[in-house]
Amino acid sequence: MTQRTTGQRFRQRKLSTKQNLQIIHEKDLEPLGDDDATRHIPKVETGVEKGEEIEHHLQAVISAAQAASQGGGKIAQLYIPTPEAVASKLQYEDLYPRRFTQPSTYIRFSSTVEDTVGCPYCMTSEDAAWLKAYNQKRGKAPHCSEDEFEYVINFFEQTTQEKQPYAEVDTAPVLAYEELESAFDETIPESARRFAKDIYVHWKAERERNLNKPLMPTLKFERNLDTDDADPYVCFRRREVRMQRKTRGRDAQVTEKLKKLRKELEEARFIMAQVKRREVMIREQLALDKTIFQQRREITETKRRLSIKGDDEELLINQKPAPKPKPRVDTSALQRGIPGMGPKPQVTRPDGRLVDSDLVYLDDQLAKKSEAIDGFIEENLMKHQKWNVGWVDATWRPITPPMEQPAAKSDFRRVFTESQLPTPPASVSSEEAGDAMMIERAKQPEPRRSTRIRFGSPPADQPYKDQSRYRRRTGRGGRVMIDRRGVKRPRLDDEPIDERVADRWKYAGDSSEDEQIYPVDWTDNLHIRYRIMIERQGEKQHAQHQAAAAAAAAQNRRAIESHQRSASGHLLPPTNRGQ
Amino acid sequence: MAPRENSHEPSGTPVPVEIGFATLAQLRVGVKAFVDKDGEKRKAEILMIQTRRGEPKFYVHYEEFNKRLDEWVNAERIDLTREVEWPAPEKPDKKKSSSAKNDKASKADQRNLKRSRSKLDRELSIASETSSNNVPGKAARPTKASGKENQELLVTTEITDGTTPKPEDEEMDLVDVQDAAAAAKAVPDQAYSREDEIEKLRTSGSMTQNQTEIARVRNIEKIQMGRHEIEPWYFSPYPIDFVDVDMVYICEFCLGYYGDVTQFERHRSKCTLLHPPGNEIYRDDYVSFFEIDGRRQRTWCRNLCLLSKLFLDHKTLYYDVDPFLFYCMCTRDEHGCHLVGYFSKEKESAEGYNVACILTLPQYQRKGFGKLLIDFSYLLSKREGKLGSPEKPLSDLGLLGYRAYWQEIIVDLLMDGRAEANIEDLGAQSAMTTNDVLHTLQNLNMLRYSKNGHVVVLTNAVMETRDRQKAKEKIKGKRSIDPERLQWKPPVFSAASRTWNW
Ligand SMILES: [Zn+2]
Repeated sequence: MTQRTTGQRFRQRKLSTKQNLQIIHEKDLEPLGDDDATRHIPKVETGVEKGEEIEHHLQAVISAAQAASQGGGKIAQLYIPTPEAVASKLQYEDLYPRRFTQPSTYIRFSSTVEDTVGCPYCMTSEDAAWLKAYNQKRGKAPHCSEDEFEYVINFFEQTTQEKQPYAEVDTAPVLAYEELESAFDETIPESARRFAKDIYVHWKAERERNLNKPLMPTLKFERNLDTDDADPYVCFRRREVRMQRKTRGRDAQVTEKLKKLRKELEEARFIMAQVKRREVMIREQLALDKTIFQQRREITETKRRLSIKGDDEELLINQKPAPKPKPRVDTSALQRGIPGMGPKPQVTRPDGRLVDSDLVYLDDQLAKKSEAIDGFIEENLMKHQKWNVGWVDATWRPITPPMEQPAAKSDFRRVFTESQLPTPPASVSSEEAGDAMMIERAKQPEPRRSTRIRFGSPPADQPYKDQSRYRRRTGRGGRVMIDRRGVKRPRLDDEPIDERVADRWKYAGDSSEDEQIYPVDWTDNLHIRYRIMIERQGEKQHAQHQAAAAAAAAQNRRAIESHQRSASGHLLPPTNRGQ
Repeated sequence: MAPRENSHEPSGTPVPVEIGFATLAQLRVGVKAFVDKDGEKRKAEILMIQTRRGEPKFYVHYEEFNKRLDEWVNAERIDLTREVEWPAPEKPDKKKSSSAKNDKASKADQRNLKRSRSKLDRELSIASETSSNNVPGKAARPTKASGKENQELLVTTEITDGTTPKPEDEEMDLVDVQDAAAAAKAVPDQAYSREDEIEKLRTSGSMTQNQTEIARVRNIEKIQMGRHEIEPWYFSPYPIDFVDVDMVYICEFCLGYYGDVTQFERHRSKCTLLHPPGNEIYRDDYVSFFEIDGRRQRTWCRNLCLLSKLFLDHKTLYYDVDPFLFYCMCTRDEHGCHLVGYFSKEKESAEGYNVACILTLPQYQRKGFGKLLIDFSYLLSKREGKLGSPEKPLSDLGLLGYRAYWQEIIVDLLMDGRAEANIEDLGAQSAMTTNDVLHTLQNLNMLRYSKNGHVVVLTNAVMETRDRQKAKEKIKGKRSIDPERLQWKPPVFSAASRTWNW
């Protein structure tokens, strides 16, 4: 009970092992009013087994120490009695000769007992007696030394162990001498072999006396017998039974990890291989594009030289011209307006998907040969202007020569351009001349057109998409039309929109039935190249046309916009790229 | 057979027993009779009866005495004028653990049990704490203890407040003094079944007390080693042939064992080993320490274990020596390095033990070698940057050795001029676990509560011990381990070498 109440009081005194405690000598300790705590020593776990803890001698020592620690007088010098060790009668000096010299450095040693004890078999007194008698019998013939004797016996023992590992269990007969002799090897010295047959007789007798058990007492190791577990003599069991189980689990884990690692590495390798393949293909493609471009240019040159005009359309189609998404928008709108003209834009449309890649190439080429191309363009521009004097362009998709009017670039917006096809000349209020040019040259190669002239520079502070854009144009028969873009219908999310209201905005948005949303893989090669192109273009433009900064900005914007457009789905997945 | 379990229970536990007078012929294994021991009659259990030269001899275990004092006695020493206790009839449920046949049959079941064994262990130990320390909040586990004790437990429950017991002493940061005392692992007082025991052995180096009948009787009469003849204390699984020999000769250097003196002499003429077969990692002018890898020196380490099992009751040789390192302390002379003592250490101890088994050979005991061994084990822990504690259970001698060492170290630290001390720092400076520091202080009644809070009191008792120690050192010289002389880096082992080898 004392203990318990004390315990309760102690319980309120929390002690942190991190807390610094004052060290006081007992004599300096102010006696507490209640001496209980001093007298009581909390029962500390001894770590000795319970059954043994109560042993008489241990308790005597423990209680003596406790009594002392409670100020109960001197510590009695108590010991736990142990059986005594006494001096041996054997001659130590003989058994253990003085042959140890201590090296100056610490000993390093790795030989095992087996390495250092010589022949494992040691003669018994019976062996010694037999050997003595044997040697006497031999008279002047060479005597068998103790070592030789032991080697022979040891050989018999070990060979038996190998050939009859379960001799003691099976109670097999002692091996025949012939069988042993046939197994002679280097473990039995030549000099000893001549005694072997004689020693065998002695050995066999000893062995039989010992129930064919090894002559040297051996430890009992596990033999996988049922009695093993309960046998206190069976010792030094392998731990593998348990360990294997453990290990299997561990190994399985490790194997899984390695498998996973390998799989991931394979995947990474595969991805890298694919990337490489892709890059190689890109290179090939670029080379092909280049060739195509050059050949086309040659054809164009040739045609131009030979003044062949009629086949340009075919050329265009083969060349996969760049129908921008916008043209398509307008194309579809126009299809309704001018049914007869329908098929053509449709023809170009599928090819248009590859225009972007052509553009990249073209732009690269431009970058390299901007001078030449610019010159070429200038030349053509002039030609076109000449040719078009007095003509009205009544074709679809007029191909506008680039750079016809520098001024046109700054203000023209692609959106308008694309939707304005039927009657270009009057379409743009401020830049009639530019529009006129576009319309005139319906058969100009499209890439060039899209490369250069499509855009004005919109206010920078607003996303292009959101800009409200208007255009006046004069249609056939002198109709004046206002086209609008970027004008948003007020969106009321929850309210169903009146059909008529919806219709009013039908052509106001950037969307049309043509602009469905397709899922687009942004990591797709095409897009990556597109982005690269945008980057490069920006740089190039900057470098080449620092003076025409506005134009460059327009170009970038165009690129970005086409980019967006491709996002809106006009580009099909790369598998279709081959078309 | 029957009384084995009884002997593991705390004595004084009133188990109803049959008492009566017996004749010499009626004496049988399991009978408890009064036996003359050094002029005093002590109750002793007969563990084995043999007839030698026509006379019956009785191997007896004295109650409340350590097994090392068990001995063969003649009939004359048994006092038949007093009543003897007859062994209790074997309880059916106990057969399981004592009969090998049943063992076999229930093996599969046991195996299943084994998986949750460690958990069970914990529960058991908590349960036993609950009952032994009267901590409320847990249902009292029915024990073999008497009704009287259970009543006390009930009373306790009423008195104490509702604090729940701490399951383990993991949370040492803020300890409740009383709880901390109770928190240390308690060994369940239920007897281990053999299967439990074996399962426990798989992971640890020592053994709680549960052995077959054979193993309760010393099997080696006497050993000869070096300059000494020593009476073994406990059973050791040396070759069974040795039960018949009067003396087992043990080579001091390779620790090989021979039942025949001629054999031994022959061996000595061939044996070239002069020191433990490993690297010397410490040397001063008194002792050397050798580090031996159980896996690389399997034979030598097996020999060492067989030898030390003669003096360590709780040591187990159930499993092989591979996962242990053996740190062997030797004295040197021209003959070689004489093994004085050693401690084994798991290559990787999950429980943070820095010693598995520790032994000073009996012929060298009470000479201060034990302290050097313990000190060295803590020096290794310091070098490893770890706190260490010896594996439990400790033997009685082990406990006293450790307590003396802990006391000396802690008191020395407290006396180094500091005005304050905190338990964790003391642990860090001595490589002792916080728990061991705390328990040492508590046990020495040095941790007290004064009006300003807890203080560490240098009691008159510890001061007196210290003074006496210092005085002794002045005369005999102080033997201590010099950390400067340790040439050692903590060895690193692959998972495979820690466990087994092929
Ligand atoms: Zn030896």
